[in-house]
This record gives sequence, C-alpha cells and structure tokens, in this order.
Amino acid sequence: MRHKKKRHQDEVELNLTAMLDMAFQLLAFFILTFKPSPVEGQILLRMPPPQPVTNVNAGQPAGNNPQNTNPLSGLNTLTITAFANGDGSLKQMQVGESIMTTLPALDRKLAAVLSDPGSGFDQVIVQVDSRLHYDSLMQVIDVCTRQKLPSGEQLSKLSFVELPVGG
Amino acid sequence: MSASMSHGASAEPNLTPILDMVFQLITFFMLVINFKAAAMDMELKLPVVGSARPVDTEGREDLLILNIDSQGRLRLFGRLIDDVKQTIAAEAQASLEIARKADPKLKKGDELPSTVVVRADKRTPFAMLNNIIQICQQNGYRKFALKAMNRTETP
Repeated sequence: MRHKKKRHQDEVELNLTAMLDMAFQLLAFFILTFKPSPVEGQILLRMPPPQPVTNVNAGQPAGNNPQNTNPLSGLNTLTITAFANGDGSLKQMQVGESIMTTLPALDRKLAAVLSDPGSGFDQVIVQVDSRLHYDSLMQVIDVCTRQKLPSGEQLSKLSFVELPVGG
Repeated sequence: MSASMSHGASAEPNLTPILDMVFQLITFFMLVINFKAAAMDMELKLPVVGSARPVDTEGREDLLILNIDSQGRLRLFGRLIDDVKQTIAAEAQASLEIARKADPKLKKGDELPSTVVVRADKRTPFAMLNNIIQICQQNGYRKFALKAMNRTETP
C-alpha cells in the first residue's frame, strides 16, 4: 500500500468501487458454482476383444495330454465365470472346476493358479452373467487385478464374455 | 458504494485491502474449479472398490468419458445418446485424428492409444455395460479405465 500523494493542486484518485463491485460479483459466482467433486479411483485394464480359448502352450495341447490332471494346465487364458442372483448380486464364481462363493476364496484360488510358474497364464477371460450388476463385477475385477503373474507383473489383460441369463 | 461527503470533511474508506482479499479469493476459486466435472454425470452412484486409485493423466492422454446409468443409457457431456454406435464411431474417428499427430501411420481399425473411461452406475447390469464396451472395442479402443470410489461417500 502506498500513501496518497498529495499535491498542492491536483489529486489523482483511482475509483476502486467499480472494480470492487465486479470482483464481488465474480467471487459470488465462483462461490455459488463451487462444488468439489469427490475423488474417484479407477482400475486400468487392457481389454482386447475376446478371443477363442484355443491358445495353448507349445508341446502341451490342452485336453490331449492324459498325464495332465489339471484342466487349466496348457492354456494361456484363464477363464473365470461369475454367476448372479436374480437381484444382480454375486452368487458364485467358478475357476476351472472349482466353485467359490466368496471373494476371498476366489482371491486364494487365483493366487494359487496364477503364481504357479508352470501355469503360463497371461490373461483372464471373465464370463459374466448378463444380470450381474457393475458393483459386483468390479469386486471380481478388483480381485483379478490384484493378482501377480509369475513374471511379477500385475494382471491387467482382461476380457469379458457375456453369459446368457441362467448361465 | 460511494464515499459519503459531508459539508466539511470527506470520509473515504481505503478499499485496497478488501480488493486484495477479494482477488485472492477469486484466484483460489479459479484454481480449484474443476472443468473435468462437465464430462461427468454426478448423479451416478459409482461402486466402491478398495484398490481403485486416482490417476491423473495431467491432460496428456486422450480420454473418452462414458457415463452409463442404471438403465444402460449412455450420456456424453450430459447429453443422452440415442445412437451409441454412431456416436462412439465418431469419437473414435476424433481419437484417431489426435493419435495421428504422434503416429501418422495409424489407420482406421488400428488400436487407439486413447483411454475409455467407464463411469457406470453400480446397479448397471453387465449386459448393458458389455454392449457399450464391445462397441468401443470394435472401434479400436483397447485401454479402459473403470471408475469407482475407493471409499464410501458420506452424505
């Protein structure tokens, strides 16, 4: 702030009133339109269009190896099936022949399957009941994306396939 | 406002400090105003997922923000979209034009570097969501960001 210069004859005064009025109007506008948006998170996925599950590891054709007691062995793509109740909530999930009714059980199963260095899975196809609600689907995706591949990378390649009503 | 004048003396309040303060407040509100909110439908109730983390692309990445309500209807910038296929195809064309600035060899049908941000209501059935995701995939989009809150909103 400066002291006003006073001269003998002339006195220059800036009229700040108009500027203050405008500033208050701007302030009122910003206060009235201010609405802090909630912080949203996101799960980043790389979703190629679903491919037929015929990708097999060389030398280990799926279904043709009588020594193979694990139905998942030999496939690059792991398939998870999510079934819904009539109200759109999650009913149960299936990995291979294992059926799970809770997300922690799915987490344990996926951790066991994907951390196996011999598994070779690099992507997951989720077969989803068409009635399943988005929040239940996100719970399943959340479990999937927390898994780590044998290479140490986080699982991020997911595709969705729609199951007809009633699976 | 005007300075009151009396017969002999004039009382002029010094407006400079208040003007300083008001400008500081205006600066604050201008800085925190969220222009991205225009692309978001705040009526949607997003699901709560613990591992969803906020990611700021700092405006360097091309985003296509899709708002899908519980009935499976798509909204872009608050506008209800009737012809989803045509709209997404047009958006893909725009994304392609942007991507060509960095890679002129890109052609229609190639994988687009843009990210599709899916903001769907938590009650949206998968069939409706999948329909829109498939249209995006057919138009070359591969990167998807599924939005969720990472904690429950308190009213």
